[in-house]
Amino acid sequence: MASLSVEETAVQSDALIVTRELTKVYAMGDVQVHALRSVSLTIRSGEYVAIMGPSGSGKSTLMNLLGCLDTPTSGAYYLLGEDVSTLNDNQLSEVRNRRIGFVFQTYNLLPRATALHNVQLPLLYAHRVSRAEARRRALDALQQVGLSDRAEHRPRELSGGQQQRVAIARALINNPDIILADEPTGNLDTQSGAEILALFDRLNELGHTVILVTHDHSVAARCKRVVQLLDGRVVSDELNNASDDRR
Amino acid sequence: MNLLESLQVAVDSLIANKMRSFLTMLGIIIGVTAVLVVVAIGQGLKTEVISRIERLGTNLLVIIPGYGRGRGPTTRPGRLTDDDFTALRGKVPYVKAMAPTLRSSAQVKYHNLKHSTQVIGTTTDWVITDNATLTHGRFFTKSEERARANVVVLGAAVVEELFYGRPLVGEQIRINNIPFRVIGLLKEKGGGFGNPDDQVVIPLSTARYRLFGSRYLTTINVSTISPDKAEVVTESIKRVLRRQHRLGSGEDDFRIMSQTELLSTIGEQTAIITLFLGAIAAVSLLVGGVGIMNIMLVSVAERTREIGIRKAVGAKRRDILAQFLIESAVLSAVGGIIGIFLGVAIAAIGPRLGYQTSVPLQTIIIAFVFAAAVGIFFGYYPARRAALLDPIECLRYE
Ligand SMILES: Nc1ncnc2c1ncn2[C@@H]1O[C@H](COP(=O)(O)OP(=O)(O)OP(=O)(O)O)[C@@H](O)[C@H]1O
Ligand SMILES: [Mg+2]
Repeated sequence: MASLSVEETAVQSDALIVTRELTKVYAMGDVQVHALRSVSLTIRSGEYVAIMGPSGSGKSTLMNLLGCLDTPTSGAYYLLGEDVSTLNDNQLSEVRNRRIGFVFQTYNLLPRATALHNVQLPLLYAHRVSRAEARRRALDALQQVGLSDRAEHRPRELSGGQQQRVAIARALINNPDIILADEPTGNLDTQSGAEILALFDRLNELGHTVILVTHDHSVAARCKRVVQLLDGRVVSDELNNASDDRR
Repeated sequence: MNLLESLQVAVDSLIANKMRSFLTMLGIIIGVTAVLVVVAIGQGLKTEVISRIERLGTNLLVIIPGYGRGRGPTTRPGRLTDDDFTALRGKVPYVKAMAPTLRSSAQVKYHNLKHSTQVIGTTTDWVITDNATLTHGRFFTKSEERARANVVVLGAAVVEELFYGRPLVGEQIRINNIPFRVIGLLKEKGGGFGNPDDQVVIPLSTARYRLFGSRYLTTINVSTISPDKAEVVTESIKRVLRRQHRLGSGEDDFRIMSQTELLSTIGEQTAIITLFLGAIAAVSLLVGGVGIMNIMLVSVAERTREIGIRKAVGAKRRDILAQFLIESAVLSAVGGIIGIFLGVAIAAIGPRLGYQTSVPLQTIIIAFVFAAAVGIFFGYYPARRAALLDPIECLRYE
């Protein structure tokens, strides 16, 4: 695969994400922090990837770049064959809206809105979705995460695990190409965490591409592929023995 | 995101901060109320002055002698004569009534009470030209006019002086020591040229032959059939009188005064004063706008995380811009509406305090549009700041 050029790789039909030499440098006054150093990854449609590494190794930085929330200092990022660096602000918004479902460690729900409204939020910014349709789809997504009976609850009336499930429903509602989750169970107890992870397993089984950041080896073990970061570099990128379906 | 949804989002967030929203609106409320009250009082003043003048008859043109330039460097006083009057009556169109007057001041006396006043000798048509109404008695008749009868109709101020306001129709008074019988009393007019209440009216023939002995006329009063005919009638009068007096144009030895002229001058002046005061009140609206900008900046800072979340799920810059812009526009528009209600309510109690007020619909509309515009203008900068925020910076914001 390393022999293929970036463009060739990018246009491979099932290559969802292709990064080449992706680098992020934060300038802190005179000091430069190299959060990410020349990360080159290819992730195909339907993959289930765990990103691991010690604290400060650049996991969140990578996820934010993949989620089009942040822009790299250098390097290229092709999403569905399209060079993200050529997109303007509006187009990036559209990519975030249609292609990506992002799940944060801290849930990031609107505190005053109900679960239903939070889940509907991406549809508010999508083209041509009627209110009735948005509501139907939001209820559908809530049902997928097992929260049908909490639609009218506000975030503070929900447990951490429930809030994270609302956030996952929100990530799912626009049927994105990739689901990105940055330590989705980091703030949860073991029981709720397990439920959330089971949800991701099922989503992957249903064909969604899932990339999640975790510190937990048992979590990583469920995934089909584990990428290890250290100090902003990919130090290992392995398939799990358990899975054999990666082409 | 459509407008209805943006509106919903804006209203929700305003309701979530009721007290703050209200305090922000207060600036706009006070501004709009102030503008409306000032304009209401200004308009009220204007209508009152106009209605006073209208009571004198807006259709009235008064021809008075002027100083014409004769041929050569000298000037000579103009004269108005019975011939002029006859010529005018035959040739000027759109005239409802025309009355010649001969005026002079004289002393009126009732028992031992004396009062100096203006005596008007005229014909029966004067009642029409000068829009006069009587409270008691009657006006003199054509036959009394022919008979040079010693009858007099008293103005309200004269009744006050001689009779202490009592309606003593039928009493005898003396004008320059000649006895006259009081046959009627005029209704009070107030305002206008001179003081139209301090006068007494007698037949022209009586004035001419028994009191003053003048061949000439002091004025010829002409009332047109409608105010918009004033110009045509004025031109026609000028033509007739120039021919009568054998004058070229620019040599006029007479002047024509019209109430409409006076009206429009007064109208212009009150409009200027109202505009000036209204502008001062509008400054408070601007101050209200600065208040909105201030609060919206605080609101943007406070909701940085919310902005980050919205952007992360696909909100575009224009969506965020619209959200905050609509919020400030709603603030100022609602403030404007409350201000309008308050202003109209205050204007409504004006008459009880002795001020006539009126709030024209167009002022209400202008005040509202201006208030909403202030909100959008001052809301734009904070909204733009929100729209340009970087999503990841917002999400990191604590
Ligand atoms: N906004 C920022 N400004 C400056 N430095 C930053 C910024 N964000 C991250 N960094 C630095 O970049 C490096 C990578 O950070 P990152 O958040 O990606 O780590 P991480 O792997 O997600 O760690 P954790 O497991 O603790 O979440 C760290 O050294 C961090 O200090
Ligand atoms: Mg992190």
